[in-house]
Amino acid sequence: MSLLELRNVSKIYGELKALDNVSIHVDQGEWVAIMGPSGSGKSTMMNIIGCMDKPTSGQVLLDGVDIARESSKRLTDIRRDKIGLIFQQFHMVSYLTAVENVMVSQYYHSMPDEKEALEALERVGLRERARHLPSQLSGGEQQRVCVARALINHPELILADEPTGNLDEANENIVLDLFAQLHREGTTLIVVTHDPEVADAAQRTIVLEHGKLLKEVVNEHFGE
Amino acid sequence: MTKRRMFLRMITASLLRRRSRMLIALLSIGIGATILAGLVTIYVDVPRQMGAQFRSYGANMLILPDGDSALTPDSLQTALAAIPADELVGAASYRYVRLDMTSRQQSFTAAGTDFEQITKTSPYFSVEGSYPSATREVLVGKEIADTIGVKTGSTMTLTWQPAQGAAEKSPEESRTPGAVLSGSAEGFGGGLVYVAAQLDSETRIASLTVDASTQTPEYGGLLAEDEAFLAQFTGKTLPLTLGEGIDAFSGATVTSAAVVDALNRAVSAGEQAQVKTVNFLVAGILTTGGEEEGYLFISLEDMAIMTGSDALDVAELSVSAGAEQLQAYADSISEQGGVQARLVKRVTRSEAAVLTKLQSLVFLVTAVVLLLTMICVSTTMMAVVSERRREIGLRKALGASDGSIRAEFLGEGLFLGALGGVLGAVLGFVFAQVVSVNVFGSSITFQPLLLPIAVIVSMAVSAVSCLMPIKRAVAIDPALVLKGE
Repeated sequence: MSLLELRNVSKIYGELKALDNVSIHVDQGEWVAIMGPSGSGKSTMMNIIGCMDKPTSGQVLLDGVDIARESSKRLTDIRRDKIGLIFQQFHMVSYLTAVENVMVSQYYHSMPDEKEALEALERVGLRERARHLPSQLSGGEQQRVCVARALINHPELILADEPTGNLDEANENIVLDLFAQLHREGTTLIVVTHDPEVADAAQRTIVLEHGKLLKEVVNEHFGE
Repeated sequence: MTKRRMFLRMITASLLRRRSRMLIALLSIGIGATILAGLVTIYVDVPRQMGAQFRSYGANMLILPDGDSALTPDSLQTALAAIPADELVGAASYRYVRLDMTSRQQSFTAAGTDFEQITKTSPYFSVEGSYPSATREVLVGKEIADTIGVKTGSTMTLTWQPAQGAAEKSPEESRTPGAVLSGSAEGFGGGLVYVAAQLDSETRIASLTVDASTQTPEYGGLLAEDEAFLAQFTGKTLPLTLGEGIDAFSGATVTSAAVVDALNRAVSAGEQAQVKTVNFLVAGILTTGGEEEGYLFISLEDMAIMTGSDALDVAELSVSAGAEQLQAYADSISEQGGVQARLVKRVTRSEAAVLTKLQSLVFLVTAVVLLLTMICVSTTMMAVVSERRREIGLRKALGASDGSIRAEFLGEGLFLGALGGVLGAVLGFVFAQVVSVNVFGSSITFQPLLLPIAVIVSMAVSAVSCLMPIKRAVAIDPALVLKGE
């Protein structure tokens, strides 16, 4: 059963076709990588999937709802309820501690629960760093906090934008291991990347070029 | 943890962990609130501060006889009791009569008054020389002084005559037991000799005092102090004749005769006896620029001696109170009966006008300060929003609604406002105190109401200042966090 389906989606900025009639689908529990050089339309697709932008034409079905037709207020609700976001630049609230940053996500979603937030940090191996401010954490640690923040509300879809782009190899592996864990638990993962190693960790890779779907590659070595 | 606690945790963390930027916003609100609180304190205190200053403009209330009942020192005292002592700056009573200056064939309006009170009720009176400080001294209005050419140190002989048809006293009436008879007669060199005799129960003279200061000091002048001479009169019944039971004071026959003459006049029948002539020393010349320059001023004691009555015509009061309070005092005095109190509208109205202008000025300055504060806070918050664009984008990406973003920034603004308000109330009081001491020369009391007012106003100001920045924050696109900027 597909959780996400893009049907003939186009996004046009003036003369530029950022996305040109793209159709993809992502199944429930699937781990998909989206690849492509810069200008291929990755970011545009990410924005649309992340409910932060609407396509010029086409349908975007998320959990059966066409988010291309929703108001931006509804989109905010859908994003909050169904999607966990992870960014290349980590993006933590600089004046809040690690655990508080996780709780911010709970705060907007439902109820802040410090115990649960600490458990999430424990899961990414940062229980001891919970009271540290972002400036006191390394890049890898910050990204792990962001993973904890993304999964805290049990989203149906985790959308990661170049999650390892700013990390060294050791931290990259930690983050990918976390993704693998989430995948095993049944979370749907979409990872936008230009790093073939990161794409290789996924079950399937969607490759974009000039706003069009170039190819889809199924990773036959997945799980090995 | 509840959402509210998380909300508070977020905004306090934002303010406490990002000190430098917030310190500037806090400072601008604090300074605004300081000036606001200071000016409000002064605004409230101005009427009281100015009250004392205004009293230099003269009396603002009159007390007059009501109907047939006369105004007397006693009824005046009763009326004055209605006004708190600390608000009553002065109360000068006046008795107006016409006095004749026979040598000039002129008559003038003379006012009997209390000079000590005049300096309080009419501080603008300008006296060349000095105020009369002893009996038989007169303060002459400039207009009169110019007309008749008197100067400080001159002597004026003034005569009081009762109005035509006034009740005349018979010698028997004058000689009532216990009465004090007073009179004067011309002595040596034309100087007047004054006498006052206390009668006993059988209308004989019990004691006699003589003022012969106009007489030659070595002769007649000594007579007034000579106990043997004065003792001759004790037990005598008026009228008397010099040489018959009364011996002339050695070397001062004319003066001695004047004493006897004055006593006889004091009891002699008819209108003639009521006429009193007194020599006054000009103590000073009065310049006011007003109608007072056409008057003579003598003490109430002298007035009572000359007219034989202590009735008053009017009392001028200088009261340090606002127009409404003043009216309340006037009403309560009038209600007591016997006298009526009126406000001097010219003074009370101009006071009110000055106060209104002063208060509008303070109000205007306050408004400008608030506006400046608003601009300053708004600019700071605007900078804060640009600085935190990414964070705001992140919050929106995490699912913050526009309402949450608004609430968070407004929350920070209100928190800053409250903090600045408390700071401002305290510093503002200090500021007002300094202004008050330097400008008005008096200290002020802390108005407890100032604290909530300062806090509420600064919260309101900072909330309004946050409107534009919040609008900008809400407009931030969450997608900006996705781009690897």
